[in-house]
Amino acid sequence: MTTSIKMVISQKILKKEVLEAGLCTGCGACVGLCPYQVIYHDRTIQLHACDLENGKCYDFCPRTSTDQNELRNMLFDAGNVTPETGAMKGYYFSRATDRQLREDAQHGGTVTALMELALFEGLIDSAITSARDQEFGQIGVVVKDKAELRKNAGSKFTVSPTVATFNQLAATKEAGRIGVVATPCQALALAKMKLKAVKEDRGKIDQLKLVIGLYCGWAFAAEEFKELMGQNDIELESIVGMDIPAGKNSLEIYTGNGTKSFPLSDAQACIRSACDYCFDSTAEYADISVGAARFGENGEEMRHWNQMIVRTGKGSDLIELAIKRGVLEVREAPAESLRQLKNAAGEKKKAALQNIIRKSGSAKNLLYLDRHDPVVRRFLAKQLSNKENR
Amino acid sequence: MKHRVSNTKLHSKIYRGGSESPISKTECIEIGKPNCPALAGQNVATRHAPYKDPMNVIITGVGGQGNVMASRVLAGMLVSAGYVVTIGETFGMSQRGGSVMSHLRISPASVLSPQIPRGSADILVALEPLEALRVLTVYGNPQITVLSNSRSVYPIGVITGELSYPSPDEMNTAFEKLSAVHWMIDATSAAVALGNPVLSNIVMIGALAKTGQLPIDRRAFAREINKNMSADKCTLNLKAFDAGMGMIENIVD
Amino acid sequence: MSKLLSPAGTQVLFMGNEAIARGALEAGLNVAAGYPGTPSSEIIESLAGVARERKLYVEWSTNEKVALEVAAAASFAGLRSMCVMKQNGVNVASDFLLHLTASGTRGGLILVTCEDPGALSSVNEGESRYFARMLEIPLLEPSSFQEAKDLTKWAFELSETIGNVVMLRSVTRMSHASGNVICGKLTTKFRRAKFDYDGPVMDSRTGPVITTPVVAKHALQQGKLKMAGELFEDCPFNSYSGPKHPELLIVTSSACFLYSQEAIRMHNLQKRVGILKLSCTWPLPQKLLKKYLCLTDKIMIVEEVLPFLEENVKVLAAGMLKELGIKTFYGKMDKTLPAVGELNPDLVAAAMAKIMKVRYKSLPAAYTQKLQKVAVLIPVRELTFCPGCPHRASYWNIHNALQLDGREGFVCGDIGCYAMAALFPATGYHTTPTLHSMGSGTGLASGFAKLDVFGMDKPVLAICGDSTFYHAVIPALINAQHNRADITFIVLDNSGTAMTGFQPHPGLTVSAMGESVPSVDIAGICKAIGANVAISDPFDLEGTCKILNSFVAGKGSLNILIMRQICALSPEKKGKKTFDVKVDQALCLGELCGCNRLCTRIFRCPALTWDRTKKKALIDEVICAGCGVCYSICPQKAITKTEVIN
Repeated sequence: MTTSIKMVISQKILKKEVLEAGLCTGCGACVGLCPYQVIYHDRTIQLHACDLENGKCYDFCPRTSTDQNELRNMLFDAGNVTPETGAMKGYYFSRATDRQLREDAQHGGTVTALMELALFEGLIDSAITSARDQEFGQIGVVVKDKAELRKNAGSKFTVSPTVATFNQLAATKEAGRIGVVATPCQALALAKMKLKAVKEDRGKIDQLKLVIGLYCGWAFAAEEFKELMGQNDIELESIVGMDIPAGKNSLEIYTGNGTKSFPLSDAQACIRSACDYCFDSTAEYADISVGAARFGENGEEMRHWNQMIVRTGKGSDLIELAIKRGVLEVREAPAESLRQLKNAAGEKKKAALQNIIRKSGSAKNLLYLDRHDPVVRRFLAKQLSNKENR
Repeated sequence: MKHRVSNTKLHSKIYRGGSESPISKTECIEIGKPNCPALAGQNVATRHAPYKDPMNVIITGVGGQGNVMASRVLAGMLVSAGYVVTIGETFGMSQRGGSVMSHLRISPASVLSPQIPRGSADILVALEPLEALRVLTVYGNPQITVLSNSRSVYPIGVITGELSYPSPDEMNTAFEKLSAVHWMIDATSAAVALGNPVLSNIVMIGALAKTGQLPIDRRAFAREINKNMSADKCTLNLKAFDAGMGMIENIVD
Repeated sequence: MSKLLSPAGTQVLFMGNEAIARGALEAGLNVAAGYPGTPSSEIIESLAGVARERKLYVEWSTNEKVALEVAAAASFAGLRSMCVMKQNGVNVASDFLLHLTASGTRGGLILVTCEDPGALSSVNEGESRYFARMLEIPLLEPSSFQEAKDLTKWAFELSETIGNVVMLRSVTRMSHASGNVICGKLTTKFRRAKFDYDGPVMDSRTGPVITTPVVAKHALQQGKLKMAGELFEDCPFNSYSGPKHPELLIVTSSACFLYSQEAIRMHNLQKRVGILKLSCTWPLPQKLLKKYLCLTDKIMIVEEVLPFLEENVKVLAAGMLKELGIKTFYGKMDKTLPAVGELNPDLVAAAMAKIMKVRYKSLPAAYTQKLQKVAVLIPVRELTFCPGCPHRASYWNIHNALQLDGREGFVCGDIGCYAMAALFPATGYHTTPTLHSMGSGTGLASGFAKLDVFGMDKPVLAICGDSTFYHAVIPALINAQHNRADITFIVLDNSGTAMTGFQPHPGLTVSAMGESVPSVDIAGICKAIGANVAISDPFDLEGTCKILNSFVAGKGSLNILIMRQICALSPEKKGKKTFDVKVDQALCLGELCGCNRLCTRIFRCPALTWDRTKKKALIDEVICAGCGVCYSICPQKAITKTEVIN
């Protein structure tokens, strides 16, 4: 990893390298630390000029240069790490045993079930998930009871600045132990915080006890999404859920008045541009990562199951407890499912590298990725060789 | 030209109001000013030297400190004493925390320009020490007398950390180098003790009177403020005047 | 008792403006109208203070044009009236003035213009003297405080003799300077108003007061001016002092006379330089000038700012070339004196030194060196909003709303204390890139907002104060509404004309003379125009920002936000703290990441200081106004506010 000796103003380089470069994922890592950055709708705004060097905003941002090797060594056992999908202690299909919960949730309700358990067993004092705000965007919310958790179940396809909520909550005295439901970029930010937090701040990041990651391919940009809905006469208030069903090449919006279907290409025009440069589709820096079990044998049956990657000891302990308490049904996932997952994850990494090189103009400049990182090197080689073979 | 009496030194004096005693009980002033007789052995407060024509006095401070009131009161006393006074002042924008100056030209007979020429101030009364320095750089000369309040009002550029304010040492050294005589008094503390910081301007007038550099005294002051102030206000202002007088020691050689 | 009513024969220390007011009283003034403008405001203020005793009608009009119309009405009814303004006020009144000087006047009418060379309290250093020449009316310029009084009194007689407006011009260094004045007698007779208009058209006393027939009346007007010129020949206010045979003749007026006199004294050139002091500067008294121009062939004309006198003297001299011979003129046009900015004794002395080839006395080199060493230690003292000023909070809200919007929106500034947002970018949080005359911000915004068809997609905001709203903004606002210019318009309503000394305006229920009057509601006018109107307290940062966010993002309507909070220097607020505000230094993060001195570095209130030894913020309780706004901005909640119970 290259370190710059020249002292630069953190806020300025954050602006240049991330915000103005179109790399900002809206994760909220730079927000809630200080009065200078805020999230407004889904944009990260620098309200005033800060002239500090070595600021936390730059250090915590998942889109500034990161020594991912150091992060992996800090969080995981080296033997578990796979190049496509990060550390894998175990890979399963799962679903909540509570049927009502499965119906409220997107697929199998695994995330909600696990968070509920962690709260109930006192492993955490508060959970931070994503919820809808008054303007029908997403914000991070602090949840302490089951009913609240369930209310916020279900996938959201727009960005939520969840890490900002963590920053704000961790700063309070009553925060206690915290669990966070995080997208890949958010999980990376939280991992960077663990790595970079200076002694005074250790207290804050050490309160983070559990990270449940979400698989993520991309997110919608709020403005474009709202415009698409507006053009098709869909009131934002009426949306109860959305999905991209397996096998269908469309985005489905579920409203109180029924379902509306959009060709995926229309939906893709609304994707937040920063997502084109994302290297991680399975939230590699979480304790457990959860996604939809799309790759099973029977499409319909798998509709209400999750696939789950367990990455850390903390993660496997939680799963064991969940099975013991009977809140989660877990079974072995077929090899084919894992193969398809790794394939898709690998493709995403290659696509990201392609977009990054196109943006930077050179394979020697991978923006926030380190071209010497072993995982990056592997996919860089693949990507370059693909090019040659064409 | 400067003359020195043997073995005497020029040094500054800081007197804080209240029960604290002054740092040093002795000081001397430069003697041999043009148009003034030698002053060796004379008590400054009672010298009856003829005053220069014109006497050029600058009162300076930060907008809102009561500069204008000080200049009016001073001028009023002098007009009553039979002098022709011209005051040059600016109001308006300078009041929003900016530097303010009042130029007073005091003459037995002539009407003069409201602006004092560069390097020609005889007496500088400053409600704020940085402004005293600022004025000195334009109107100072080796014969000038400086009477300054010690309480600083920081410019906004200093408060935000963009600029730095000179240290008390730097300011004292500057006053020593740039004036013939100078006094530094904590007029603000005296005013605050009397209940209102803005009275510091009157404290300075009292101190100025005591220095004997101008033909003004307590009686003239009392007469002047009686013209426009209520009895209560007059009493308070006289207290401030007296506090200022008390801060200037007589010159002893 | 006001010193303006001092008995005859007493010697009083008067400000130039007060001397003018006294002169008007001695002339039997009946009506005075004006608009606040530094350096003129004290004239109307002091007259308003004695209005009852002297049976005057004194008014702060909505703008200078209306003020002149009000004064003109009094004149048409045979009363003596005066209209007072700063230099650019004459520009505002000029259309009416053009017609007024053509129709003529009846009772003496003096237009007093107080100019600001060097722009000490203005954003221009414009000249109104040229209006006198262009509109063909006499121009008088007092050059001492005694003269300010005496000349004003004489001006009324002159105005009535010729039947037209007389312009009396002062400058900051005359208006705001003070000196000894011996008072004359105050009138004991008070006129009654009588307006005749049925007489023949060409009868200026009894006919209708109109400018037509234009050419004929123009000829009459020129005749009046000629009459004034003849009166000027013997006017005692023009005088010469100096040797019989000067080497250099200085021709000067106004405060420049005092500078010139001082400069001669500084150089000890009393025996070689003479001064022709002109207090009547248009039309130039030809015979008088000829007499003195003959004394020598070196002539220096000392005036500010533009070479008005210089041009006129040269034109005159060119016409008398045969009699005068060749002259060398020194002044602004040959750069002997600086072309811009105000003059002072030093500049005149330097010019004189060049011409007379004398050494300009300077300080000993050793002393100047010491001065230079000290000069570098002295930080500049920038102007800023007072502690507790609502504008600081208003601009904080505006800046935040524009940042959140993210399209680089900007504010078109206007005239008042809040103009500082444009003059000192950090004070306005870098929101305000334009600043011109009263009311122009709204007109500019109305224009900017129509440039979206040319590819400019930025939110456009305009701002003005409550007094400025009545003065000039309404027509531009109507323009914006009618032409569908989507601007966000902000009125900073601090209940007074603060910049110039807190004079009242139509938004208040008290008049210049302290009488109870109805107010005219700004919000009502805005609603009548058809705008979308909201009112908020700028000290409520959250609430105000919310409204601003929706206004700035909104399209398709004129959105007006009235930010209402009284000025910190107003009589109601001054010296009274709403809160006791303190910094809990244990909670203050100071320079650390997480705060980095947001309050002292960015918010910038003079009472919020940085304690350099403890490296914490510290409230200066002497200057703090106790508004409590800083409590809302501290990210650590380290600033505490407790209500002060009175």
